[in-house]
Amino acid sequence: MYSNFQQSEEDIRQEVNLKIFVFICVCIVAFSILLIRLLQLQYFEYENNLKRAEENRIRKVNIKANRGLILDRNGVVLVRNRPSYQISLMYSGFKNKEIRDSVFERLLKIKDSNGKRLLDSAMLSFSFERGRWQKFRFQRLIEDAAPEIVALFEEHSEELPGIEILVESRRDYPFGMYGAHVFGYTSEISEQELELPENAHYVMGDRIGKKGLELSYEQEFRGNNGLRFVEVNAMGREMGIVEGMPFIAPISGNSIVTTLDWRLQKVAENAIPEGLKGAIVALNPQNGEIYAMVSRPPLDPNIFSLEKRELHKAWASVALDTAKPLTNRAISGLYPPASVFKVITAAAGLEANTLSEYTRYKSCGGGLRFGNRYAKCWLARGHAVLNVVGALRESCDVFFYQAGLDMGSERIGDMGRRFGLGSKLGVDIPNERSGLLIDSASYEKWFEKKGWKWSAGEILNIAIGQGALLVTPLQQTVMVGTLAAGNGLYKPHFLKEIVSPEGELVRKIEPEKIGEGKVSERTRNIVLKGLYEVVNAPNGTGRRAIVPGVTVGGKTGSAENPHGDKTHAWFVAVAPLDKPEIAVGVVLENAGGGGAMAAPIAQKVLDAYFNPLTSTAVTE
Amino acid sequence: MKKIDWVFMGSLFALIGIGIMLVYSATSNTDLVWYHTEWFKQIIHFAAGFIIAAIIVFLPSKSWKNIAWISYAISIIALFLVVNSGHISKGAGRWLDIAGFRFQPSEFAKIAYLMVSSLWLSRNRVSIVQPRTLLIPGLLFIVPFLLVLKQPNLSTALVFTVITLVHFYWAGFRLMDLFLFISPVASIIFSTMGLVPWSLLIIGVFFVSVRFKFPLWFIILVMTVDISSGYASQIAWNTMEDHQRSRILTFIDPMRDPKGQGYQVIQSQVAIGSGGMFGKGFGAGSQTNLAFLPEEHTDFIFSVLGEQFGFAGTLVVLALFFVLLLRGISICKLYPDSFVNLMVAGICATLFFHVVVNVAMTVGFMPVTGLPLPFLSYGGSFVLTCMIFVGLLINLRLKGKDI
Repeated sequence: MYSNFQQSEEDIRQEVNLKIFVFICVCIVAFSILLIRLLQLQYFEYENNLKRAEENRIRKVNIKANRGLILDRNGVVLVRNRPSYQISLMYSGFKNKEIRDSVFERLLKIKDSNGKRLLDSAMLSFSFERGRWQKFRFQRLIEDAAPEIVALFEEHSEELPGIEILVESRRDYPFGMYGAHVFGYTSEISEQELELPENAHYVMGDRIGKKGLELSYEQEFRGNNGLRFVEVNAMGREMGIVEGMPFIAPISGNSIVTTLDWRLQKVAENAIPEGLKGAIVALNPQNGEIYAMVSRPPLDPNIFSLEKRELHKAWASVALDTAKPLTNRAISGLYPPASVFKVITAAAGLEANTLSEYTRYKSCGGGLRFGNRYAKCWLARGHAVLNVVGALRESCDVFFYQAGLDMGSERIGDMGRRFGLGSKLGVDIPNERSGLLIDSASYEKWFEKKGWKWSAGEILNIAIGQGALLVTPLQQTVMVGTLAAGNGLYKPHFLKEIVSPEGELVRKIEPEKIGEGKVSERTRNIVLKGLYEVVNAPNGTGRRAIVPGVTVGGKTGSAENPHGDKTHAWFVAVAPLDKPEIAVGVVLENAGGGGAMAAPIAQKVLDAYFNPLTSTAVTE
Repeated sequence: MKKIDWVFMGSLFALIGIGIMLVYSATSNTDLVWYHTEWFKQIIHFAAGFIIAAIIVFLPSKSWKNIAWISYAISIIALFLVVNSGHISKGAGRWLDIAGFRFQPSEFAKIAYLMVSSLWLSRNRVSIVQPRTLLIPGLLFIVPFLLVLKQPNLSTALVFTVITLVHFYWAGFRLMDLFLFISPVASIIFSTMGLVPWSLLIIGVFFVSVRFKFPLWFIILVMTVDISSGYASQIAWNTMEDHQRSRILTFIDPMRDPKGQGYQVIQSQVAIGSGGMFGKGFGAGSQTNLAFLPEEHTDFIFSVLGEQFGFAGTLVVLALFFVLLLRGISICKLYPDSFVNLMVAGICATLFFHVVVNVAMTVGFMPVTGLPLPFLSYGGSFVLTCMIFVGLLINLRLKGKDI
């Protein structure tokens, strides 16, 4: 019976029918079991499963990458990150209306230590209304909450379902206002910015660099955000990450090592007398590395991390302030170059051979008659007869009036352009301005709208750095420094190195030569002699810039301006004169004479640079 | 020549339509251009599948006998290649790249094995008490089985096992023969459940073999193999490391690991259950839309169905599968030829096994094995396999007489 190969057709048919019957029975049994199970899940346990489906959710959470740091050239951390606590609302955390209403009432009653209400009802209803539409999104109630407020909410977390404390990273400035104009700030990315294609990898709520280095090197600082999937319970609380779902670890942003020398920056920050407006720039003219940059009035970068309403208030107060604390005067402030510009006039004349070290012009008796105009010298009693070195030393206007008339405005303009005036130098923070370098060729084009015509008298103004000329403190410093160093025009910059979060060097920045920036050795030596005597000769205008142990050269300036009685005080110093390694430019708005007001400030910075151990400014 | 079975075709098209719809709803929120989307690719898969099925239908039924051995040989070689140098996908080497196409040789090995086993067993019947009749079919089975197992792809290996059992049943085994045949495996499984179930099994085996007058040597052999395999598995179990044991337990019962494998199953059950009687509506499944199921458009497509169309939807789909299998197996009644019978029974059993194991997995009845749901799950190779099965069924129905 086990090997019956000779079955009849009828036997086979019966056997096949039986087997088909068995197969169908197995199908029916298996499908019935499955259907019973489905009925169990979908009918008998429906309510329970529906509840779980609504409660039991996966949330996609962005893990924000740590933002890179800003360091000075010696590794001092200038800008870092701190945790910031956000009191937030997750509407799905309210199980029912009663709980929602009681949480609303409780929130209204929460007061800080001064008895002031933390949340007002209008703002709270707005957040609750928004939460109703976005049940699974956090609505921020208190931004960047103070530690005592966080403690308060933690204490009451049991009574406040749906209220959570989120931790974000914000910028922290260990040195307060110092360097604020250079660093810039970060703030939440705006909706317009989010729509830009280059910002595709940002999400709502990300913070992005808005000014200064934070903006320039956003791509370095940013890093890459990570991603994880977490399971949240009915209260919206995270229960842990979900295995088997993608997890992308965040990659911290790169840090930048700046060219700043924080020691000098601190000295410069402290050097400007309280209440004065102005700027200081210290840089190395040999390669363009900026050591220090100060702008006054100061800006508190911490206001950009404030809670939104406070931020609006603080923002309004700085934005509407007529002193314009938001402006980085070192790169965006435009001033007449004043007598500092005389080095350009002198160099132009010497290069064009309309002037030599032996040239003597008409004696200065306190002014020069030109046509029907009497152009005064700053020294009413006059300087008598001087050569070019003496004219630089004592800043004799009458000498340069005549020198200017001799050579013409184009030569002055050419010389100015050669040392970076009249155009942006390309410093690596935004909002640099180009200033204005005018000669007879560009004058009428520039002032076409006003209908002004070039007149030969204009050259008198230009020769002494007044009139239509405008420079930024950075340009002024670069100009004098480059002329003195005689080594070419370098792009001023802050970025020295980019380093990875692990501290490895990613990229080193080489100095970038942006112009020849040169005059003949003979011309340079005459100008250097002038700069030397300004500081070191008994009757020099910049004697207050003397630093023991080093040869300082410099040039004073006192810019006439329509904003006040007093002149803007200018001083640009270079040292050591034989081989300049630092140039310091100082401008103080409406502070008076450059020699009296600005030179001592430059002196403090130079002293700190050359005598770090004995300098009083450093030890202060 | 028989007419086309319109009930069969109707069920088939209904299932394919539902499948594409579900793949669409499970993947439409991935923000790709439409021709990169999974649902569009799935339509392409089916279009290719229909062309192949049509070609198969127009070929003479004899061809399957003619190509059986050669295709079996080729698929063994392909399996051998993939085991040694396969493309690693999710840790399992299952794919082979040929001329820019990625395909799973194990899918086509199923078809080849089906044909060669049908061919052999149509000429040589098997009997459990005549072991030499089992030698060749056993060899034909064990080679692809081991190669697929080594990939490792347990679920497809089980498909080979199912084809083999059904073929043995069709080619001479009775139900009790099958029972005794698989009793050693049952003994291994039961021995882990405790002494009482295992003892009951052994007593059952003894009772059946004595009651149906099996030869003495056979009774002794079966009892020896059953008892020793039970003991061996006990010893192996006890000498295992804890983590190995827990891996096996988790495979059997995913709920033991609610954060890992169990997580998918729990979420799948919640998705199906929350669909209720009539579902949340097309595209409205919150579980699906939140994309919590990692493989929702492939292995867990049934959960998408359950959530969006409720019990009504799952009932309709299971009914369609039932009709499809019923109409398929009924081909056996048309022709007495045993090759046609074995082919049809093997195909129907394979489809049935896929459906039951996949649905049982989504409702938490079975381990997560990765067997897709025919006509509904996304995936090129599997769609092609299913459409080849369909083409073979239609071909055998129309031309089975000429064999």
